[in-house]
Amino acid sequence: MADDTKIAIRGLYKIFGDAPQQALSHVREGISKSDLLEHHNHVLGLNDINVDMPAGKTTVIMGLSGSGKSTLIRHLNRLIEPTAGEVLVDGENILDYSPKALRDLRQHRMSMVFQKFALLPHRTVLENAGLAPAIEGKKPRHYADEATKWLDRVGLQGQGDQYPHQLSGGMQQRVGIARALTSNSDIMLMDEAFSALDPLIRTDMQDLLIDLQAELHKTIVFITHDLDEALKLADHLVILKDGFVVQQGEPQHILLNPADPYIEDFVGDINRARVLRTRSVMEKTEAPVEGLDGEVGHDDTLESVIALAGGDTAKHYRVMRDGRQVGVLHMRDLVRALVPSERDPDRALAS
Amino acid sequence: MATYDFVFDGLGLREWCGGSDGGAGGNAPLSMDALMSQARGEEAEVSLWETPFPSLDALHEACDAMPQSRDLTSGLEDGFLAIKDGLQVVVDPLTQPLSWALRNALWLMQAVPWWIMIPLLMVVAFAVGRSLRLVGLVGLSFALLAFIDYYDYTMQTLAIIFVCAFICVLFGVPIGIAMARNDRVQRTMIPVLDMLQTLPPFVYLIPLIFLFSVTEPKLYGIAIILYAIVPVVRLTDLGIRMVDKEVIEAADAFGMTDRQKLFGVQIPLALPNIMAGVNQTIMMSLAMVVIASLVSAPGLGVLVLRGIRSLELGVGLVSGLGIVLLAIILDRVTKAALARINASQN
Repeated sequence: MADDTKIAIRGLYKIFGDAPQQALSHVREGISKSDLLEHHNHVLGLNDINVDMPAGKTTVIMGLSGSGKSTLIRHLNRLIEPTAGEVLVDGENILDYSPKALRDLRQHRMSMVFQKFALLPHRTVLENAGLAPAIEGKKPRHYADEATKWLDRVGLQGQGDQYPHQLSGGMQQRVGIARALTSNSDIMLMDEAFSALDPLIRTDMQDLLIDLQAELHKTIVFITHDLDEALKLADHLVILKDGFVVQQGEPQHILLNPADPYIEDFVGDINRARVLRTRSVMEKTEAPVEGLDGEVGHDDTLESVIALAGGDTAKHYRVMRDGRQVGVLHMRDLVRALVPSERDPDRALAS
Repeated sequence: MATYDFVFDGLGLREWCGGSDGGAGGNAPLSMDALMSQARGEEAEVSLWETPFPSLDALHEACDAMPQSRDLTSGLEDGFLAIKDGLQVVVDPLTQPLSWALRNALWLMQAVPWWIMIPLLMVVAFAVGRSLRLVGLVGLSFALLAFIDYYDYTMQTLAIIFVCAFICVLFGVPIGIAMARNDRVQRTMIPVLDMLQTLPPFVYLIPLIFLFSVTEPKLYGIAIILYAIVPVVRLTDLGIRMVDKEVIEAADAFGMTDRQKLFGVQIPLALPNIMAGVNQTIMMSLAMVVIASLVSAPGLGVLVLRGIRSLELGVGLVSGLGIVLLAIILDRVTKAALARINASQN
């Protein structure tokens, strides 16, 4: 386990049914999900999951509905108990925790944001935001400052006395985020947190999360079925299908090197120019190169570089990071990267 | 000769029956049919069309050793009488507080002068419903009932309902919570609740009359409580089970204990349902308080009973309308409370 791993999942299985342990032995022998359901009447939820989630980064778990992503995130705070495997948080296996230690984990070290907000309808926005300190037994006047601070930070100034049903969906989810932040935990679990929101509001919320993350560096585990959202937020992307991990890694890397046809399909529809960054397609070199047409940032999207070049494929740019050259971008490579990988000439040559 | 002689002859049980001839010659009490045919002096000739069902009585005719159906009911009665003393030793002290509460409530509601009581009830109505129209309705209704000299009867009925409904909530809500949290408790309670709800209200009174003295208020108190407790139990169970799973999950995810979840989330969110149950419970105790006047419950029911017994049409109708008025007030006040809870949650 690397030093900067906050949460590590090791060999995690979840099987739903009457006799999961028995079914587990079949799964370990390699039975397929559909056979298990047909012959043994058990549902394979998660199949040998191994993921390291880096501290202070956003890990996005992406998959279509039924892929087990919501089941997986609920194992991280044991809302669901696994059939087999380990979940290590800060190196401790939380499956060994007593009920009391588990409650402590949920109160102080992990917070959660839900798809349908799950606010307490009978408590005010302020009381909802202060749920974590309230559970510890603090009175509203003791946690009001902290809760108000986070409500203000997520853009809900002066709404503390409202009840949740008086707010719109987007504002309710802001309360949900403020509630998670007020708990002051290092880890934030976000279960399809923005999926129930309108597209425009969703973009706002994504930007809010990126801002917050730049400031707070929490370990965020974000679940989504939306690839654009995943690519926008992820530092580490895990793609789940039918309960197992198809591919995981840096999002740009997955985009350029999809591991199997399922992911190729997935990434096929994306606007690659908007998602890919110059650092992913540049030639890495610190040696000075003559005859360049200008400078670009290492985190610029390809779209912006195309606009800069005016569509000219013969140009070359110096790629800068923190005022230092980290590579050279050839427009020809850039254009090639825009074509999905199955028609990628490099891969065709390699194979 | 009886119809079912052949059964016992065929099975070789004639010896056990204790005689070669049928029941007519035995010394057990005669059935009405047998008596009639004896009086007519003829042996009943039974055609196929009139073949009796092989009931206890019909079988008894063929065999003296078979019990008659009247033995069943009298056996039940004897059995109840046999355990009655033992039961009383346990139940009497347990239910004594109910007698005490009813007596004191009755005394209190009548001892307080009307010019304190009516404004007090109006204040309570305002505290619960926060509506001036409601307060007006309450004041007007009580004034009307007092004007026609039914004030004392109304207060007696109200006292009984307050005590019984309070005890229903006191026991019903915890039972409902237990049902919601444990499927086995729910499975055992549901048939009991079904029985309490469908048993004709008069039937409650019969065993209670045997158990307690008719002068004891707890006699009718228990009958009212048993009859009226059902809705509050059911709706508490339902309300807690209907609490949004996502909210419960959020409570878990932030590390609430079971107790915090129950008092901080489940009960507050089930409150609209629980209040609907309280409303129903009050309505049902009002219905039962009339029937309970058969066993000395005071109040408007006594007047209704008088109307029936001595055919005093006017008394019966006016007291009946008085009960309706009381029902409307109680219903509106509890519904107003319910509406306030709903408004704050949705």
